[in-house]
Amino acid sequence: MNSEGKIGVFEAVCLTTLIMTNKVFFTSIAFIVQMTGTSAWYTTLVSCAASLIFFYFLYLLLKRFPGKDIPQIYEAVLGKVAGKFLVFLFCVFAVYYSGSTLREFVEMIKVYNLPQTPTSIIMISFLLVAVIVSYFGFECMARVCAICFIPTVAGLLLILLLASPSYSSNLLKPFGGYGIDVTLMSGFLRSSAYMEFTILTIVTGAIGGYGNFKKIGVISILLTGVIFSTSIFCYLLAFGYSSGSENISGIFELSRSIYFNRFFQRVESIFLFIWVISSVITTTVTFYISILIYCKIFKIKNHRPLILPFAVLVFIAAILPRSMQEITQVNVVFLRQYSMFVAYIPSIIVLIIAWIFKKRGQKAGA
Amino acid sequence: MFLYKNIFKKILSFISYKEKKDNSFYIPDASEFKKGDQQKNDKGKAIFHRKTKREIKRPIPIDQLDKCETDTLILASEENISNDIELNIQYVEKCFNYPQNSDIIIRRLRVAGKYKAFIFYVDGMVDRFTINNSIVKPLMDSGKFTDAIFEELTDYIIESVIETNQIKKVMTQAAAIKDILSGNTGVYIQGYRYYIICETKGYEKRSVEKPQVEGVVKGAQEAFNENLRTNITLLRRILKNKNLTTEFIDVGKRNNGKCAVVYLDGLINPAIVNEVKRRITGISTDFIIGDGILEQFIEDNPWSIIPSILSTERPDRTASHIIEGKVAILAEGTPFSLIAPVTIVDLLHTPEDSTLRWQYGTLLRLIRFFAVFIATLLPGLYVALTTFHREMIPTDLLIAIAKARENVPFPTIVEVLLMELSFELIREAGIRIPGIIGNTIGIIGALILGQAAVQANLVSPVLIIVIAFTGLGNFAIPDFSLAFGARIMRVFYIFLGSMLGFYGISLGILISLTILVSMKSFGVPMVSTIAPKTGGSKDFVLRWPLWMQEKRPDYLNALDTRRQPKISRLWTKEKAAYNKKKSEKGGGDHE
Repeated sequence: MNSEGKIGVFEAVCLTTLIMTNKVFFTSIAFIVQMTGTSAWYTTLVSCAASLIFFYFLYLLLKRFPGKDIPQIYEAVLGKVAGKFLVFLFCVFAVYYSGSTLREFVEMIKVYNLPQTPTSIIMISFLLVAVIVSYFGFECMARVCAICFIPTVAGLLLILLLASPSYSSNLLKPFGGYGIDVTLMSGFLRSSAYMEFTILTIVTGAIGGYGNFKKIGVISILLTGVIFSTSIFCYLLAFGYSSGSENISGIFELSRSIYFNRFFQRVESIFLFIWVISSVITTTVTFYISILIYCKIFKIKNHRPLILPFAVLVFIAAILPRSMQEITQVNVVFLRQYSMFVAYIPSIIVLIIAWIFKKRGQKAGA
Repeated sequence: MFLYKNIFKKILSFISYKEKKDNSFYIPDASEFKKGDQQKNDKGKAIFHRKTKREIKRPIPIDQLDKCETDTLILASEENISNDIELNIQYVEKCFNYPQNSDIIIRRLRVAGKYKAFIFYVDGMVDRFTINNSIVKPLMDSGKFTDAIFEELTDYIIESVIETNQIKKVMTQAAAIKDILSGNTGVYIQGYRYYIICETKGYEKRSVEKPQVEGVVKGAQEAFNENLRTNITLLRRILKNKNLTTEFIDVGKRNNGKCAVVYLDGLINPAIVNEVKRRITGISTDFIIGDGILEQFIEDNPWSIIPSILSTERPDRTASHIIEGKVAILAEGTPFSLIAPVTIVDLLHTPEDSTLRWQYGTLLRLIRFFAVFIATLLPGLYVALTTFHREMIPTDLLIAIAKARENVPFPTIVEVLLMELSFELIREAGIRIPGIIGNTIGIIGALILGQAAVQANLVSPVLIIVIAFTGLGNFAIPDFSLAFGARIMRVFYIFLGSMLGFYGISLGILISLTILVSMKSFGVPMVSTIAPKTGGSKDFVLRWPLWMQEKRPDYLNALDTRRQPKISRLWTKEKAAYNKKKSEKGGGDHE
């Protein structure tokens, strides 16, 4: 089968956290503020808690079938046809996710930085890098994430810190947002925003089994929760809920607001680096995962010949939305709110079926 | 038809995917070797107990030696040494293209005035004084052979007659000729089927001088030279360890070069040594001179612009790497040694980092990392900034830049490339130019290209500052190959910056990182310690105090991972001989 290599806990945590937190650079913050008002910063903590619950179910499923990844488990529980079909859906979703992230990024960068550069040039250059990185494989990808993680998080914290002169605690009021019911409901639905950890279920071999999966998953979800919450908190402090819900990219707007003196202003372009790098990594990892799933379904040994065809598919998925409006209203809503029906729910159903029919994998060494 | 088929196949081969052969190497864990050694020792014991038959040789009196010569004639060939002196002389003459080639000297003589013999050597490679006084004179002195009783004449000659310090028997013509080409002298005595090779190397060589490329303010001021033996001696002088092992391997089929693999046995992971030897012995080429060529034949990533083997001219630096558990490869004819495996950070270290106090060493390292950043990215960032992200430049500065560029007719990218090219030309010409007219370069560079180009409105003054700053950054990179890599990458980033601004540069950084991360140096990932995260050495980006550097780099899987105990400064735990409290107390007692 495919050799994804071997990665350590640190690298895996960096990979998943980087992918999950990448959303803060996009419309995610403005969207959650729009939905829940001033309670947005703790709504995300509700999402974090909900994702931890979903994560636990996935962990139980992996634990029940030690040494197997999700495609193998689906096949073992549902049979070859149904199992492969369900995994194939996940593969399609990964392509869609990759394309949507790419398009969302391209629209953002066109608005903020490259208004005159043709979309196709930005997209092709972006995909080219994704292709090159994917060519080197998962191990290499995880190592790149390990190197980029600390500068990215440090850059994000620096933005939050440098924007502090424009913070006002009054903008956090009323603390309850639009009500507890809205907060809880939105929080639960937005747990989909943490779904990227599910990629670990595809590469369980590379991360060292379900034991490490638990460790990596919990750390990265909690870390992402803290980063999300802090970012939204600072964003609300700077813009409040009314104007905050209108921004396209929350953190980029925050970096724009940094002003100390005439020699230290408009520094947002510096943060473009972390924004671009984390976005490329996110797209690349999901792009690679889609290829990997396909390889696992059809038992293809090497992922490399499939890179170009999948790049074309991602490109098509990226150009499907007609406008920025469609991306934010359809793709982003689907990805951040309803992707749990693709990422979590099928696995939970499979777990229940495995429980009912008492199906389990062999223990290591048995 | 056949031709079309071939063209079609060729085109198809470009677009079809070919599976690469997996010949990657990894360094196994040290524990595997400990097990292996145990098994090896057990085997050794079994062999030791095996009984072998020994033939008893009886001594022959000197007057009966003539009768020992065999009657059957054996022809001389590459593998065989004939038992007839004339055939051997003919073979040697043919081999060395004698008499057209007048470098080879063949001297016939009679050992003890009795036995036919000849000596041969390459003129100019040998020390004539040694040949005359230690080989020819004793061999011809019949007084040395009177009343002697011995098993074989040649053994007697080796043990009691020839006075050179090194001497050996060689059984094939090919091996003998290889030795002769290295400056040794061959002795042949009628009737025997081997040569006696005597150490007589005596060619001219450069003395040990100061480092030319890796100079330091504090630290040793010795550098390697072109002589392999001298270089190994320099290493041995630093590492006075019985386990320091040197293995010679022949490289280059036509130039018959030699290289030495030096390592510390019992410390280094044996897999690294085996892999290095495997790669060197696996080279099949006609000419290898120096480590530069050898490096290109054995490195993991020949397509990469970043080197994966460290090249140094300093014996102290080489020794410090050997003691970390790495291999040094010294090639004949070059004043550099190759170190493997290394990480990217090793390429940015200098010997001065260790000789200076840790605070200064760390500062120097940070400056060097900044230098790499400047050398690779600064012109690209300048182009991106002035083309795509003008909002970032404070208004006053922007006006100044705009004013300076007002009369320049070219776009920024052309300006940058023009200056980059000029700078590279100055650098290249500076290396090639004879020293006596070296000042000309300064005049051309500073006056014509700097001042006159600005006055002629070909480039803006800001750009001159950017390029000069970049040049300084490039000079601050300690590894010559890495500095070259930075120069190439710089052009790549200039293009990316001009086409897509910071976005393009970010993409470039990601590609560079990916390639760097995927690179390996003899099984060690180039970004080891960060990705993959490994523990151990506290001598990576920041240099910790020497007494805190307790372990060797983890990624080397050395057999002995610990460099020093947890408390290496034992004296800090002891009471000083002249302790104040003690003396006060003692004083009181005295009173």
